[in-house]
Amino acid sequence: MLDNLSTSLKDALKKLAGKTVIDRAAVDELVKDLQRALISSDVNVKLVMELSKAIRTRSLDEQLPKGTNVREHVLRIVYQELVRLVWASTDVKLEPQTILMAGLQGSGKTTTTAKLARYFQKKGMKVGVICADTFRPGAYDQISTLCAKINVPCFGNPQEKDALKITREGLEHQKDLELIIVDTQGRHALEEDLIGEIIQLNTLTKATHRWLVIDAALGQQASEQARRFHEAIDIDGVIITKMDGTAKGGGALSAVAETKSGIVFIGSGETIEDLERFDPDGFISRLLGMGDLKALAERAEEAIKAENVDVNAMMKGKFTLRDMYTQLEALNKMGPLKQIMGMLPMGSMQLPDGVYDVTSTKMVRYRIIMDSMTPAELDDPALISSSRMQRIARGAGATPDEVRELLKYFKMMQRTLKGLRGGGGKFNMQRLMKRFSGMQ
Amino acid sequence: MFGGLKEKLKAARNRLGASIEGVAAKQELPVRETRIAEPDTPKAQQKASSPAPTFVDKFKVLIIDRELIVSEKDISEALSELELMLLESDVALPVSEAIIAHVRTNLVGKHRKIGESVDALVVGALKSALLDVLGKGFDLTEYVRTHDRPVKILFTGVNGTGKTTTVAKIGAFLKKNGYTVVIGAGDTYRAGAIEQIGVHAERIGIKIIQHQEGADPSAVIFDAVQYAVSHKIDVVLADTAGRFHTKSNLMNQLEKIRRVMKPDLIVYVDEAVAGNDAIVRAAEFDRVVGADAVVLTKADMDSRGGAAISIAHTIGKPLMFLGTGQGYDDILPFDPAQVVEDLMGSDT
Repeated sequence: MLDNLSTSLKDALKKLAGKTVIDRAAVDELVKDLQRALISSDVNVKLVMELSKAIRTRSLDEQLPKGTNVREHVLRIVYQELVRLVWASTDVKLEPQTILMAGLQGSGKTTTTAKLARYFQKKGMKVGVICADTFRPGAYDQISTLCAKINVPCFGNPQEKDALKITREGLEHQKDLELIIVDTQGRHALEEDLIGEIIQLNTLTKATHRWLVIDAALGQQASEQARRFHEAIDIDGVIITKMDGTAKGGGALSAVAETKSGIVFIGSGETIEDLERFDPDGFISRLLGMGDLKALAERAEEAIKAENVDVNAMMKGKFTLRDMYTQLEALNKMGPLKQIMGMLPMGSMQLPDGVYDVTSTKMVRYRIIMDSMTPAELDDPALISSSRMQRIARGAGATPDEVRELLKYFKMMQRTLKGLRGGGGKFNMQRLMKRFSGMQ
Repeated sequence: MFGGLKEKLKAARNRLGASIEGVAAKQELPVRETRIAEPDTPKAQQKASSPAPTFVDKFKVLIIDRELIVSEKDISEALSELELMLLESDVALPVSEAIIAHVRTNLVGKHRKIGESVDALVVGALKSALLDVLGKGFDLTEYVRTHDRPVKILFTGVNGTGKTTTVAKIGAFLKKNGYTVVIGAGDTYRAGAIEQIGVHAERIGIKIIQHQEGADPSAVIFDAVQYAVSHKIDVVLADTAGRFHTKSNLMNQLEKIRRVMKPDLIVYVDEAVAGNDAIVRAAEFDRVVGADAVVLTKADMDSRGGAAISIAHTIGKPLMFLGTGQGYDDILPFDPAQVVEDLMGSDT
């Protein structure tokens, strides 16, 4: 279902591609598809409406920057607006501090507590955990087992029913440690006595950070719950858990909008190492179902830097075997070609299916074959006659058919590039990437 | 938990009612004029309004049957508002669309007697749409009563939805209804899970079969079933570890548990606060191991009950219980007719 959505978003973007004048109807349509994508990712409906309004106004009002088309223009605005929302400063400092965990039942606080302990431990800090969950049976067993695995001291007492008392003793007990994480029992905003308890815990611990743990699958309730938690203990960061499922985590977006904080960490797996620092780009790409823009841009830059594609020659219409060689190499470093194309938000660029068929093993073969060619042949493949083909095949340990296949593939690439150049598109990874990275 | 949804629906209802009333008022005027100039009703107008009810149709029903026809255009705005309200109540997007489509087909082209209340018409359409989606409830005690003992029930779901707590609650519920129960502690993965269900079982006074952490869950549950057979116990409740539908190894493990246990009932547990993902995972669990009934937990979190509607619509399985709090008694048998009646019935 989400595939369909992202497809419809891509379709809408496709309509905008190549346009140099802003088309009101097309922008409206895109905004509508964007709304659907965000709502299906569980972003709060009111927030979606506000966002899309801002995006629509900006898209129509702002001057089209020179050299960009409408699609890029709108996409950039979408991206900026979303980044603005999630990207609050959430510096995680490695200094003595106390972290108070808060969240709904079953959102993954205890697991995340252990993961955080591991994270800070790996950064070289002396970490301790206090189990202030006095309600759920087995809670202490759970956290102490997890802590034992990573050699982190865990303070708790399954017999004691007073969370405040445990925490007070725990703080005293672990006062030599640099970083203390207080795990609390799950609660929701309507349970007033529990909200009262966490306010007291906050006062008692003088917590440096109060992090709200949000299940990636949490729906529209996220806003309301986050708001109430924020009122109670002034949440200053959100952790999304269970991102290894299919949930998109839109609830967390609602939550950061409500608490005016940022997303600190993402939990995405069952082992204790499965905790990552938040990366807005990946998150937004997932929300929109559009592939990881930033990661792709970075990988592309890295790959191209090493290779040096002769862009200028290619732009002049000269595309030789040599160019293909370097280009395939560069692309190969970024992963399977089709996947890369899927990651790029470029609806307009339809490459023939054959282009994707070059697998990495084939690329190695191609490279070996090309290594057997003379410089003259590389520059002008037309030179390759049947006797030269025989020689190349023998030199590369390949069959003449493979050489023929390589030449066929080269011709297809050449044709594709010619076509794209004619159509105003620029098949040029470097410039393409530059534009994408310019969007952030 | 349906309080929020109820308010929304009421607002939508009024809204729909108003827009149909508006149509009625508008339609009556021109028709009165044509009544005077009856013979020369222009034919072009008839064509213009097809394939929707033609002008003549409208005219005929108004004059002969004294009825009005509701057209799609009249209600489209109100319906899109209703859709937004469903979305705000966590009803997943495709499901909201299905409900709206249902209401639309039920209202559009409908003949309405001039005297008939618009409210009744809208209420009827919404009610039937919701009932259609929610289906029938599931009476667990009735099921246990009419089936061979031991009745084997397997609980599945993703992490943190409240399976273990639900197993304890249903154990307490069945015990209160006079059945004997044994629990199989099938969550051998999560640290502390065995202790958790052990404490629950002890508190409510139910026998529990447990192995060590890391043991094969199929074996634990098999033992629980064997215990039930040899001790003539009425119901076996099998807890399992939470797992994501995307982890094929864990889903295979669940499939193995099902093969070994041969459950009579597979209960899928999810939380009432889940958003759109609820339908993705419910469908996947249903596909891999099946589901016969659904329990929605955390229904006390001021949620609007959208997940209930989403899941019921997606896998077409009845909702059995709602978990409404942290105590063992905080579990409500789910009765869709009653819920819909509650939502729509009291308009005062």
